[in-house]
Amino acid sequence: MNTPSFGLDDFLPVLPAAILTAGAILLLVSEVFLGSATRTYQALLAVVTSVAAGALAFSNAFLPAHAVLQGYAVLDPFSSFTTVVVCLGTGLGALLGAGFLKHRNAERGEFYALLLFAAAGMSLLAMSAEFITLFVNLEVLSVSTYALTAYLRRGPRPSEAGFKYFILGAFAAALLLYGAALLYGATGTTHLSEMAAGLGAAAKAQPALVACGFFLVGAGFAFKVAAVPFHMWTPDVYEGAPTPVTAVMSAGVKAAAFVALVRVFLFLGPVFDPEVVFVIFSALAAATMVVGNLLAIPQRNVKRMLAYSSVAHAGYLLSGVAALFAPATVAPKSGVLSASATWGADSALRGEALKGLLFYLLAYTVTSLGSFGVVGALERREDETKGNAWDLDRFSGLAQRRPFQAAAMAVFLLSLGGIPPTVGFMAKLLVFRAAVDAGLVGLAVLGVLSSAAGVYYYLRVVVYMYMRPAVEGMQTPERQWTTEFALAASALAVVGLGLLPGSVSDWLSRAGLIFGQ
Amino acid sequence: MSAELVLFWVFAAAIVASAGGVIIARNAIASAMSLVACFFFLAGIYVLLWAHTIAALQVLVYAGAIMVLFLFVIMLLSLTESGPVAQLSPSRILGAVGTAGLLAALVGALLRLPKTLPTWVSDTAQVQRFGTIKEVGQVMYTQWLFPFEAVSLLLLVAIVGAVVVAKPRI
Amino acid sequence: MESPLVPYLPILAVLLLAGLMAMAIPALTTRLGPRSVNPIKSESFECGNPTLGTARQRFAVKFYVVALLFIVFDVEAVFLYPWAVNFRALGWFGYGTMLMFASTLVMGLVYIWKKGALEWES
Repeated sequence: MNTPSFGLDDFLPVLPAAILTAGAILLLVSEVFLGSATRTYQALLAVVTSVAAGALAFSNAFLPAHAVLQGYAVLDPFSSFTTVVVCLGTGLGALLGAGFLKHRNAERGEFYALLLFAAAGMSLLAMSAEFITLFVNLEVLSVSTYALTAYLRRGPRPSEAGFKYFILGAFAAALLLYGAALLYGATGTTHLSEMAAGLGAAAKAQPALVACGFFLVGAGFAFKVAAVPFHMWTPDVYEGAPTPVTAVMSAGVKAAAFVALVRVFLFLGPVFDPEVVFVIFSALAAATMVVGNLLAIPQRNVKRMLAYSSVAHAGYLLSGVAALFAPATVAPKSGVLSASATWGADSALRGEALKGLLFYLLAYTVTSLGSFGVVGALERREDETKGNAWDLDRFSGLAQRRPFQAAAMAVFLLSLGGIPPTVGFMAKLLVFRAAVDAGLVGLAVLGVLSSAAGVYYYLRVVVYMYMRPAVEGMQTPERQWTTEFALAASALAVVGLGLLPGSVSDWLSRAGLIFGQ
Repeated sequence: MSAELVLFWVFAAAIVASAGGVIIARNAIASAMSLVACFFFLAGIYVLLWAHTIAALQVLVYAGAIMVLFLFVIMLLSLTESGPVAQLSPSRILGAVGTAGLLAALVGALLRLPKTLPTWVSDTAQVQRFGTIKEVGQVMYTQWLFPFEAVSLLLLVAIVGAVVVAKPRI
Repeated sequence: MESPLVPYLPILAVLLLAGLMAMAIPALTTRLGPRSVNPIKSESFECGNPTLGTARQRFAVKFYVVALLFIVFDVEAVFLYPWAVNFRALGWFGYGTMLMFASTLVMGLVYIWKKGALEWES
């Protein structure tokens, strides 16, 4: 039997995921063998692991794009930078989790292990270039997040959130798998590059089959990134999950799902029908931006408001995805069904859009982790059953009680609203500029208008923090240095990247060197 | 009509009937038993497709292990026969319309398939050989290494998840 | 085209035999055996004790954990079959891949063992 041969190069891209997995296993084993009372070492171990994995992924990002591991995975700057963003989110999430769990006497190695497993799944998902690999890695990340959602177990809210996320997530995964199976039936391969080569002929011979496969795969991804109308689960799940988990879900899970979506559709979209793909992504983007922002406005529950805001941010990201398929960037209809280069001429525009997407994911990761981090730091276990743990009133007068947390929250909210000089502004600028350059002026205008609506509900929290007196008897848990450190780091990143995006945005320009284009 | 074709229609009709039984039965246990029947008939279809390995796994894992888990969950929830009757609501109607639409689209797509083998099947003998455990093993551990090893990660995560979510004392 | 059904003929034979037995034995017992029906005899049999309540009692969640862990290792075993069949042909390379696969799961086994998930908590 011919056994395949692997070089060192093959293992380079999966090394970050391997480090994350090893860290997770170490945490599991130490949890059962070390039974010590203080478990802060676990959070630190998780942070060290994610930093190591992130650093390795960062060095990978400067290698040329190529396929590895028999074509099941690709090593390209796009996936490597995603791993960096994911590791950043995981490290910050572990720090936030430490204080959050300590307050609830629920600090255990499993929490951090699952965080690291999820990160490994995200990293592998971002580089998957074959449908079965992609599905298995998507499930690694999903199963970890299902378990994390139900981690606290007590009370109806975590149970409801875990149950809802699991049922709907499994359903969405089934849709994706079904779609992939139909595409396999049409082309006879599950490798994205081979599928792209055979899809043109298949789309001519069996257009209905290919279209069904496409829509099912798209629906599965739309669920994972919480695009309207597949967003219904988001507020309940985000609200019921432990707040640090919500933060990681809104940042890392979304980033990995977006990157996988972009990869699949960049391979298959142009061969199938770029016009249809473009129309669908534009419609999804428009609906997601508008609905997410409109539903966030009436929320008095800050955690729920941030959940809807995360839906809205998926909409901005989707407008960046739509820019990849805009009419300007694809060749005229006549060349559509030929499998080869309908892109070539517009690689600059495509690179700009991909860079915008990655920068946005980075920006949203630090901002979202920070904002959910503040929300989590103010939560008291005792209030959770009363249902007002996240009410706006809890934020009133925060500037006097906790000046640092209030200031950090203000920075994060300004960044979410896209107000300079924060990173949120730079990210929106990049994505919307990519959309405008691709000719999607309408979508960009809609994006700017709906983010203006978003400013209202973000600033309302700032007003409560700085201009309202504190409500009597509002107590907040004691401060934890891990949480404060994570918040300070995020706030610094938000302002720093907003003022000096230079070198980071230069690095991310390599995102255009995505594999296979 | 060949024996395969006759059996196909027998299995296909039985799958539809038992799948219908899963959703129609008021008694959760009866529902679960219909599902077992459905799994068995599905294994029959896999055999007709030369997918011997999948057929065996369908019986071993699904009809065996996973159904046991189903029954445990039913007993855990202690569902009585007089469960609430589903009320018609706008979201339910919307869901029904959506599901019907999906079904129509899929059936439409499948009806339009040409009655010949797909063009990418070049070697019909290979189709007959491929589904055996030996053949599956020969490609799985050499050509499909990465997804195979990823499955071990998935199973590990499932172990930890099961303990975190369901173990009585942690 | 050879039929995929040929290897399943023994199963068909077993099924036919089982069906025949299932029909023949009740038919024979009703035909041959003496019948006397009374209320006590038609009660469910619980080792001679009077029946207590319904059989539909809530199971403890611990059954669920065990069942879930069983499935995970069942699936692992499933991946062992194709490897075992090709053990010689795959050689040391196959041994290495399976070692990697299994050692990941052994870490999981060590974890649940030490965690006490295999203990019967009461």
